Amino acid sequence: MPDFSPTQYAVPFFVVAVLVEMIWSRLRQPEAYEPMDTLVSLAFGLGSTVAGALFGGLAAYVFIEAYEYRIFDFGPEWWTVWWAWPLCFILDDLKYYWVHRAGHRIRWMWASHVNHHSSQHYNLSTALRQTWTGSFTFGLLFAIPLVLVGFHPVMIGICGGFNLIYQFWIHTEAIDRMPRWFEAVMNTPSHHRVHHATNPRYLDRNFAGVLIIWDKMFGTFTAERNDEKIRYGIIKQLGSFNLLWSVFHEWIGMLGDIWRAPMKHKLSYLLREPGWSHDGSRDTSDTIRERWQQRQANERVEDNLAANSVATRNPIESPGQAA
Amino acid sequence: MEIPPLLLQFGGSLLAIFALYALARALKLGGKPTLGSENDVHVAAGEVMDGFAVQRVSIARGGIAALARDSEGQIMVIKRHGNRFAGRVLTCEAHVREEVDALVVDTGEARFGKVRLSLDDPAYWVDAINRL
Repeated sequence: MPDFSPTQYAVPFFVVAVLVEMIWSRLRQPEAYEPMDTLVSLAFGLGSTVAGALFGGLAAYVFIEAYEYRIFDFGPEWWTVWWAWPLCFILDDLKYYWVHRAGHRIRWMWASHVNHHSSQHYNLSTALRQTWTGSFTFGLLFAIPLVLVGFHPVMIGICGGFNLIYQFWIHTEAIDRMPRWFEAVMNTPSHHRVHHATNPRYLDRNFAGVLIIWDKMFGTFTAERNDEKIRYGIIKQLGSFNLLWSVFHEWIGMLGDIWRAPMKHKLSYLLREPGWSHDGSRDTSDTIRERWQQRQANERVEDNLAANSVATRNPIESPGQAA
Repeated sequence: MEIPPLLLQFGGSLLAIFALYALARALKLGGKPTLGSENDVHVAAGEVMDGFAVQRVSIARGGIAALARDSEGQIMVIKRHGNRFAGRVLTCEAHVREEVDALVVDTGEARFGKVRLSLDDPAYWVDAINRL
């Protein structure tokens, strides 16, 4: 059985890549990095490896137990079935899409995943801003179908590792667009900038890991526009570089809401979308987008009225008159 | 004494993290943006809360913070955070304290911190915040 963790081997590459991007930043875009933000993001990354070592055993146990009930058996030397690897990688990427979408649409999952989004910057150090609390969500359940189909948990783990490594390089503003064919199929810096944006039009879009086709299939794809500056982070920016607050703020907020909520609404604060409140006093990404769309529509109507008013006062009798 | 490989890996990673942080500082990455005009506050306020229609603005001396009020009477405090801006729409939990040369606005969120603003028109804002 292969004993291989691709992410461990990738760590030196991550460090060198961040270093190179910092030099690019110095030359082209010094505001792309902020030392304290970088320190917090990298501390997140290191802490997540410790959390994984401490709590990852639970997921391993669940997967190994579930593997006993697999439908198909790739044999005792399952790692030699070459075609199972790309198949597993693609199905794991599809799983990633759904677990990631749940990470944005279910507050329990968001309490963990928000860590990856709480930087107001978008650079390679942001990619390493990984959660410490993933083991306290139900995210691992999304992988159970793959185990039950017959993919060994180690194979799924290795494919998941390569998936994460792929996602590292797309956290950058240093690359504008990739070739058109690549943008059409793969997740890219441009597509993922949209995902990290707080602009209303971009909220809860582009959940893909490696293949952007999942967003196109499931109706969550939005292309990056050149005419709108992206702002990064979360709706309610933390305004703090406190590492522990950054890690646990959403858990604290969620548990506080559950504690204070009337009994019949407690579960909703756990399972509904971030920002939901039983009295409608808060904003979700949906309400923000609706309000923004309404404002855009009103502005268009006003522009049209103004244009018509000008046209009525200055009618053009014939095309020649306009010249 | 043999150091466990995991501990060695942790120590190495920690060193790399501080090395990258030091490099970011040495390269003078980041910068210190300021709110230089009302338009800057409009932009920053729109980023804090989409659609916040600013009607009145006071920028703190030095441009590191500002207060803004919209047509519905909501008040927003904006502060520099790193080389970006962050802000909060104030609620009834907010407090304001007058010092000799500045206002100290407490949003009621401990981790967001208090925002100190040296303003030309502090009395207006003290009154407005106290009415929330």
